[in-house]
Amino acid sequence: MKLQTLPLVAGGIIITALLWSGCNNAKQNSQSPPAPKLDSNNSALIRLNNQIFSIPSPIQTALLIKKSGYSYNKDILNSATNYSRYDTKYKKALNLGIYGADLGYISLYDQTQDAISYLASVEKLASDIGISDMFNETLLKRFQANMGNHDSLLSMVSDAFRKSDAYFKDNRQGDVSALVLVGGWIESLYFATKANSQNNQKEVVRRIAEQKISVQNLIKMLSGYEGKPDYSDLIKKLTDLSNVFDNVEFVYNYVPPTTDEKNKTTNVNSTSDVKITPEQLKDISDKIAAIRNQITG
Amino acid sequence: MIMKKFAPSFIALCFGVSIAFSSSAQCDSIANTCAKRNMDPSFISDGQQYRALLVNSDETAEFHTTFYGGSIYRIAACSGMTDGNLVFTVFDSQHNVLFSNSSYQNAPYWDFKVKSTVDCIIDAQLNPTTNSGSGCAVILIGFKQQ
Repeated sequence: MKLQTLPLVAGGIIITALLWSGCNNAKQNSQSPPAPKLDSNNSALIRLNNQIFSIPSPIQTALLIKKSGYSYNKDILNSATNYSRYDTKYKKALNLGIYGADLGYISLYDQTQDAISYLASVEKLASDIGISDMFNETLLKRFQANMGNHDSLLSMVSDAFRKSDAYFKDNRQGDVSALVLVGGWIESLYFATKANSQNNQKEVVRRIAEQKISVQNLIKMLSGYEGKPDYSDLIKKLTDLSNVFDNVEFVYNYVPPTTDEKNKTTNVNSTSDVKITPEQLKDISDKIAAIRNQITG
Repeated sequence: MIMKKFAPSFIALCFGVSIAFSSSAQCDSIANTCAKRNMDPSFISDGQQYRALLVNSDETAEFHTTFYGGSIYRIAACSGMTDGNLVFTVFDSQHNVLFSNSSYQNAPYWDFKVKSTVDCIIDAQLNPTTNSGSGCAVILIGFKQQ
C-alpha cells in the first residue's frame, strides 16, 4: 500500500517544491523599488510581469544613427564569431541582446552577408538558452528572402525578440528576459557613443543624454535579481554609470496634447531638452565601453 | 492512509499549477491575437510583451516607458478576444493625462506622434462593463519614424 502511494506523495513533494520556489521568486521580485503611485486613491497597483519598466528598442537608436548620416561601421559590432566564448546562461543572454542590436543595425544598412552571419550567431545563442523556436530555420529563410527590405527585416527581428520575451516571462525566467534587454540597451548606447566620437552630432548627443531614465529603469528591473550570481556586479556597474547621468539635466515642459479622433492619433506636443557637458559625455562613453567590452570579451 | 491524508493537498496543488499554466496560455493567446489585429505591420515591435493578470476591474497595472521625439508610437491594449475590454491612460512624468481610450469607446489601439522625448506612465484596467471577473491585460508597443 505504501509502495503504491509513494509516486503520488513524491509527485506532491515535487510540485510543492516548484510552487515554493515560485513563491520565493515572486518574493525576490517584489523587493524591487516600489513604483510611484499616480493616484493615492488607487489602492491596488500591479506590476506587469513583476517588472514595471520598459526599455526602448535598440533599433530606435540605430535608426537615429543612420538618419544622422553616419556610414556603416562594422568595427563597432561584437564579432559574430565571439558567440563560442560565452559559456554561461548569464553571458549568453546578455550577448543575445547585444547581437540582436547588432543585427538591427546591420539590417538597417542592408549588409546582406553580415546579416546572415549575425543571425546565425543569434540562432546559436538562442538555441543554447532554450528559445530555438523563435530563431529557427523558417526565420532564417524568411530573412534571406527579404534581404534589401530593411523594414521587413527589422519587423522579423523585433517580433522574434518579442516572442522570446514572452517565452521567458511565461517560464519564470524574467531574469533572463531582463539580461537580453540590458544587452540590447548597452549595445545601442555603445553605438551612439562610438558614432558620436567620429563626428559630434546634436541629435546623437541628445539621445545619449536621454538614456538617463532608461539606465535607472534598468537598475530597478535588475534589482529583483540582485541575489543571483553576476547580477550584483552588473547592477554596481550600471549604478556607477547612472551616477554620471545624475548630473545630466533633463528639462520637460508640458504642452497640452491634441487628438485627431478620425485617425486615432494624439500629437504629444510637450517639449523637452537636455544639458550634457563634454566631460559627462566622455565619462559616459568610457564607462559604457568598459561595461560592454567586459560582456563581449 | 497516507493517500487519504495527502490527496486533498495534492489535488489543490495540481489545480494551482494548472491555473498558472492556463493563465499563461491565455495571456499568450491574447497577445498573439492583439498583435495581429491591432499592430499594423508598418510599426516595429519594441521587442517586449507586457501583461498582467488583473483580479478585477478595480486593479490597475502600470508601467513606465520612454517615447523618443521624432517617432510615432502605437499602443495596442487587449484583454480577452474581443476589442474594448481594456481601458488605458497615458500620463507624462508630471502626471498630466496625455490620452485615455475611455474617451474613445475604449479603442484597442491608438497612435502617438511625439514631438520631444517624454517619459510616460501607462495605466491599464479591465473594462468594468465587459469584465465581471479577472482577466489578462496585454499591452504591446510599436514604433516608426516620423
